[in-house]
Amino acid sequence: MSARVVRLVPGLAMADLRHEWILTLCLVIAVAAVVAPLLILQGLKHGTVATLRDRLVQDPVFREVRPTQTREYAPEWLERLGADRGVGFLLPTILPASSILGVLHPRTGKLQTLDLIPSAPGDPLLLENGGVVPGEGEAVLTAAAAAQLEARVGDRLEVRATRTRGGVAEHGAATLRVAAVLDPRAGTLPRVYAPLGFVLDVEAYKEGQAIAARGWAGEVPRPAPTYDGVLVLLEAALEPVARSGLVVNTGLGNVEDLDAAAVRGRFGWDLPAGWQAYRLTAPGGAVGAATLEALRRKLRGQGAILLPEVETRELGLRGLPAPAVGLSLTPEQAGRLGIPAPPWGGLDATGDGARLRQAWLSPENADGQGPGLELAARGVAEVRFPVRVTGTGPATGRAYLPAELLGVLRTGLQRPIAFDGEGFTVARGGYRGFRLYARAIDDVPELVQRLASEGVEVSARVDDIRRIQVLDRGLARLFWLVASLGVAGGAAVLVASLYAAVQRKRRDLAILRLVGLTRPDVFFFPVYQGSALAGMGLVLALAAYGGLARLINHAFSADLDLGQRICALPAATLYGAAAAVLAVAAASSLLAAWEATRIDPAEAIREE
Amino acid sequence: MRPEPRETPDAEAGSALVEMIGLTREREHGGTGFRLRVPRFEVRPGEFVALVGDSGSGKSTLLDMLALVLRPTAAERFRVRLGNESTDVMALWQQGREGRLARLRRERLGYVLQTGGLLPFLTVRGNLALPLKMNGRYGEEPAIASAAERMGIGRLLDRHPHRLSGGERQRVAVLRALLHRPALVLADEPTAAVDKTRARAVVADFRSVAQVLGTAIVMVTHDLDLVRDVADRTYRCTLGASSPSLVESVCGPA
Repeated sequence: MSARVVRLVPGLAMADLRHEWILTLCLVIAVAAVVAPLLILQGLKHGTVATLRDRLVQDPVFREVRPTQTREYAPEWLERLGADRGVGFLLPTILPASSILGVLHPRTGKLQTLDLIPSAPGDPLLLENGGVVPGEGEAVLTAAAAAQLEARVGDRLEVRATRTRGGVAEHGAATLRVAAVLDPRAGTLPRVYAPLGFVLDVEAYKEGQAIAARGWAGEVPRPAPTYDGVLVLLEAALEPVARSGLVVNTGLGNVEDLDAAAVRGRFGWDLPAGWQAYRLTAPGGAVGAATLEALRRKLRGQGAILLPEVETRELGLRGLPAPAVGLSLTPEQAGRLGIPAPPWGGLDATGDGARLRQAWLSPENADGQGPGLELAARGVAEVRFPVRVTGTGPATGRAYLPAELLGVLRTGLQRPIAFDGEGFTVARGGYRGFRLYARAIDDVPELVQRLASEGVEVSARVDDIRRIQVLDRGLARLFWLVASLGVAGGAAVLVASLYAAVQRKRRDLAILRLVGLTRPDVFFFPVYQGSALAGMGLVLALAAYGGLARLINHAFSADLDLGQRICALPAATLYGAAAAVLAVAAASSLLAAWEATRIDPAEAIREE
Repeated sequence: MRPEPRETPDAEAGSALVEMIGLTREREHGGTGFRLRVPRFEVRPGEFVALVGDSGSGKSTLLDMLALVLRPTAAERFRVRLGNESTDVMALWQQGREGRLARLRRERLGYVLQTGGLLPFLTVRGNLALPLKMNGRYGEEPAIASAAERMGIGRLLDRHPHRLSGGERQRVAVLRALLHRPALVLADEPTAAVDKTRARAVVADFRSVAQVLGTAIVMVTHDLDLVRDVADRTYRCTLGASSPSLVESVCGPA
């Protein structure tokens, strides 16, 4: 097979197609009739799915993954979640109850209570709904909030975070400038978006803390002591009615009588004769300062001694030479009980500072002890602090501590506390929720699965996303079904036509062989013809597709956004389709090609 | 243009274009065997050789073997000297070197078939150019027009073969067979489709052009009258039944 002969074959094959141009045209139309509908079908599938996806992609709501429970999310956990490839935006949020903010518009005089939501740079909900991310001193309103306040961009709003402390209503005020009003698509609820820092300040203020930077008064966040229960010691037993009355309006739910052994087991000493001890517990678990105060008032004038108690085993206390017991008594109370008075005195509901960090060891334990002990408690986060040994207590084999100290450590089991050298402080715990947006809608199902596997219940528009994925897959299957039918039919037409053409042209091919074409040369004669037919059919099909797609898109243009098309094919698909058509055509010509090689050049001579 | 009768040069065997000695071709058909026997056959450069015989006498079979498209069953000697070198055709067949045979056909042989053997999808010009192109001799294409003029077919160059008369077609075929200057042109009843007068004209043209170019011709015909005056050498294939189950034909000098 010489090179110059090889170069001649395509020209001869094309000359033959040109000569039989009517047959050629028929085959080109046949190929186009198979390919064009398939292109349209694939274009519709791709365009429809792309448009549906576009709609989802454009609305950040479909990328949102919302936690459905309010619980504590540790900052480290959130940090790890934020590092997930599928996460586009992640921001911690606060307790829903702490997010109520009173908003007053000075110009319109409207006062509304709005939900306060944190935001941060990159917030897709704001950025993709015509908003901007609010800076310090700024807020972004939802359409509903703006309507209720009759507020516009640039207006200044007076906002108030309110709280009740010690029965007194207080508020912290601030002025926020409206940076943007969101598209109604961003949500129908009246909401105000502000920087995370501001929102956390509001939360802290509502919890009673002072926010010095904003001029909001309050307390330094000291952990309030909480208890597992409270013992009431009385010189005489209560009437049954009075006994039951202890749990009325006190926040307590259960009263039980304690016998002498139980008291000795707790404290190491016996009650004086005739005294009666009751143990009161709250149904919710924790007994706080308010409950103790209510109980104290109820028992006023009866000489009752209140001893709040903590399950010390739970505290994981280390550093004491003996089991710890909480005991806060005034000297007068101690005298009535006939025991030595602890140096830190009686119960003080709000007490903190050095008074709390004392210990009273029994003599057998005090030997060899220095004046100070270094204690550690487990808590949410481990806390270490010093206590002074301020005396020797009764020889009961116990270490007596202020009841309030144990109460604070018990609080430390619920939220992290720290010791700062002067006293205990409440450390920033976890967050009570988060706002999460996936990078893309296809990341949502995986994120939901990941969170579910970590035990975090979330809700997301997974169904909408799944529906489109299912539609996409279903349509793809349908397309391949139709395509395989069409391609099989088209290939059969080509196989038959090319084979018939070789049979019709046996003599011509024999003459070509006679004048010097080799078998491999004539092999390519039908292959070139098949490829050329497919190529021309493809061009015709693309032209038909282009025209029809334009028509379809025009017909649907009213229902589509700018740039959206209901019938569209990416370039890669078009290249793939072209390659596939040529490959099928070349394959279809193989039978004819094989037949061509079997033609004997002698057939040309033996014409009869 | 009357051809001169020529003496048969009695040169040594090696100078023959084609030389067959003791060649046979056998085939079986419907229980009856057919054997073609060629005790000695040769063509010398520039000769006009006529091959005559009744139909079915095997002359076309012999032509197929000369055309290098049919394999002899056996041969003591079957060589061609179509270029500068002598080639053992029988050896090429035995070695299955069909590409080499195709190349010999392409470069050294020309063909005129009964109805021309032109390719219907090429114009006259395309048909005439094909052997030149296949041999890479593109530079000679301009010569086609003048050669066609001389053959009296200059105005037909852009037509397709189906629009030509039988005689025109044959003249195109003759020109196509000669244009690439093959050493040997094989013609299979090239005048079968035209009347006697035209047939004589075609044969005369053929003879004269071949003579100018120094091309040898082997023409198969059943009409001895047509070639008696022009043939340098004539072979005849004669049928004879050697047994009921075997028909034998022998081709030898007439």
